[in-house]
Amino acid sequence: MQNTYRKSTFVWAGIGALLLVSFPFLVTGFWVRLLTQIFMFAALASALNIISGFTGYAAFGNMIFFGLGAYTTAILMTKAHLPFVVAFPASGVMAVLLAIVLGLLLLRLRGHYFALGSLGAMEAFRQIVDLWTGLTGGSQGITVPAFPGKPFVVNTFFYFAMLGMVILVVAFVSKLDKNRLGYAFKAIRADEEAANVMGIDTTRYKIISWSLSALFTGLIGSVYAYWFSYIDPPTVFNVMWVVNMFVIILIGGMGTVFGPVVGAVILETVSELVWSKFINLHLGILGTIIILAVLFMPRGVLHLDWKTLLTRRVPATAGAAGGGSPNKPDEAWTSRRKEGRDV
Amino acid sequence: MILQAIVNGILFGSVYAMIGIGFSLVWGVMNIVNLAHGSFIMIGAYLSFTLYAAYRIDPFLSIPLVMAALFLLAYGVQYFLINRVVRGPSFVTLTFTFGLQILIANLCLLIWTADYKSVKLPYSSAGLELGGLVIPLVRFGIFGVAVLVTFLFYLFMRKTKVGIAINATALNFEGARTVGVDVDKIYAITYAVSAALAAAAGALISPIMSINPFTGGALVGKAFVISILGGLGSTVGALVGGLTLGLVETIGTAIFPSAIQDFLGFAVLVLVLVLRPQGLLGKRFY
Repeated sequence: MQNTYRKSTFVWAGIGALLLVSFPFLVTGFWVRLLTQIFMFAALASALNIISGFTGYAAFGNMIFFGLGAYTTAILMTKAHLPFVVAFPASGVMAVLLAIVLGLLLLRLRGHYFALGSLGAMEAFRQIVDLWTGLTGGSQGITVPAFPGKPFVVNTFFYFAMLGMVILVVAFVSKLDKNRLGYAFKAIRADEEAANVMGIDTTRYKIISWSLSALFTGLIGSVYAYWFSYIDPPTVFNVMWVVNMFVIILIGGMGTVFGPVVGAVILETVSELVWSKFINLHLGILGTIIILAVLFMPRGVLHLDWKTLLTRRVPATAGAAGGGSPNKPDEAWTSRRKEGRDV
Repeated sequence: MILQAIVNGILFGSVYAMIGIGFSLVWGVMNIVNLAHGSFIMIGAYLSFTLYAAYRIDPFLSIPLVMAALFLLAYGVQYFLINRVVRGPSFVTLTFTFGLQILIANLCLLIWTADYKSVKLPYSSAGLELGGLVIPLVRFGIFGVAVLVTFLFYLFMRKTKVGIAINATALNFEGARTVGVDVDKIYAITYAVSAALAAAAGALISPIMSINPFTGGALVGKAFVISILGGLGSTVGALVGGLTLGLVETIGTAIFPSAIQDFLGFAVLVLVLVLRPQGLLGKRFY
């Protein structure tokens, strides 16, 4: 597909980059903060995409790394008085270490068991943070030293920090999409037994995948703590955020490079425009968005198949092509969808 | 003290068992972790509350009505919506049912407001005293109905054609289709039966628990724990899981400080998942 890039592609990319760079100088603080938030969700969803979209493990407790990163930064900056440049990488390292330990325990589980096991781990971890008041401040939370400077400087700094995180994660994922490591992840998603037989050390690769996801999630958590300069357990270990990330991935297209970014822009813009007007309906609206997204574009907007959009019925009813054993609905579903798309 | 806790645990555990059976039925047959299950319990409780508040129908008598209502609702949801994605990856169905859950929570918020609601029965304080032990009449009634409904469900799964078809579909849906089972319909019936059990549980808890639109989310966590404890695919397993949770909760409250109870709950859940993911009595079908 390399040769399909045309000159105009580069022109558009250049214009886009210029816009992104000049945004903080053109619009008000509100819009800069909204964009920063969109970047954060785009980066978080891209990081989740590594373990869930590419490797096929629905890590419903992924916010555990976000919270760990945020708390590592907060504690290092307040208790040890270290600068952010030290706390930032330390947060990533802590997240990776936790991912390895948790991965050894939980990545043996499949499907829903892993999803809910990781969620349980996150809730247990949140309780520890909540109870360990001496270190974490418990439910009182921690106030992190604020970034010095005027609001404009602060907004601009975090705008570029989160933009940097998005670029970092997306660049990494686009590499992953084309190299051996990424192929190993996708092989595990397609059929773990077959991947194993072909010589992929699945346990090792699953742990690598979750560690990478954790690394980025932890780093984003670190930036978040510095950005908001106040964290407490309910905000940094928030299940709703994980759900948001999954919805973003679903809207954009799971296992795609740019899907999470597209999804984050769509979902966060919609929610900012709609929710602010209908406060007492926002859960219902989000629920409806989720249901519609799952029903009509389960592979995301980047894979939308407009022709069959309204006529299609997925799987159980779709004749023998549903294929596979009932124990492995995931693969049967994925392969059937691919057949459908290629025809 | 402990003996009373055990009695309370068993009495309430029967409701947990009913919740767990419905939840694990959908999970076992369709491989869907139905995050909206707690919402169905909540709707059941709200309906029974409204029927009592508006028409003075006793929650024990409105159970069949509430069950029928939820049966129809869930049948439609499964037949027209979930069947389209039922073979999707686990996170697709998880996200879908989560969307359903928050949509229902919001609707309940609009209809019944955020205030806590519960049915205040005139005979709520009546009880039986047995040598120091107190057995409240309402809780005993709840226990009796829960056991009866569970038994009826057991017979339904074993003795009726539909129940056997559900078993067959759970075991091998292609095989079931080959011998003429309409898998779509069976899935819809499975989901509807599960919701009806949830509704009955909701009607039963309405006199003893206060509910608000966000109760559903908390209840689904319990349903999950019960299913994990008991293992999927067995009525007896869910019964054991439900009774275990009931006992652990009441005895735990008596022994451990409330601060670490939540942590213990999740830690035990993760441990059971790691050590025995198939549950205490798990097997393939009902």
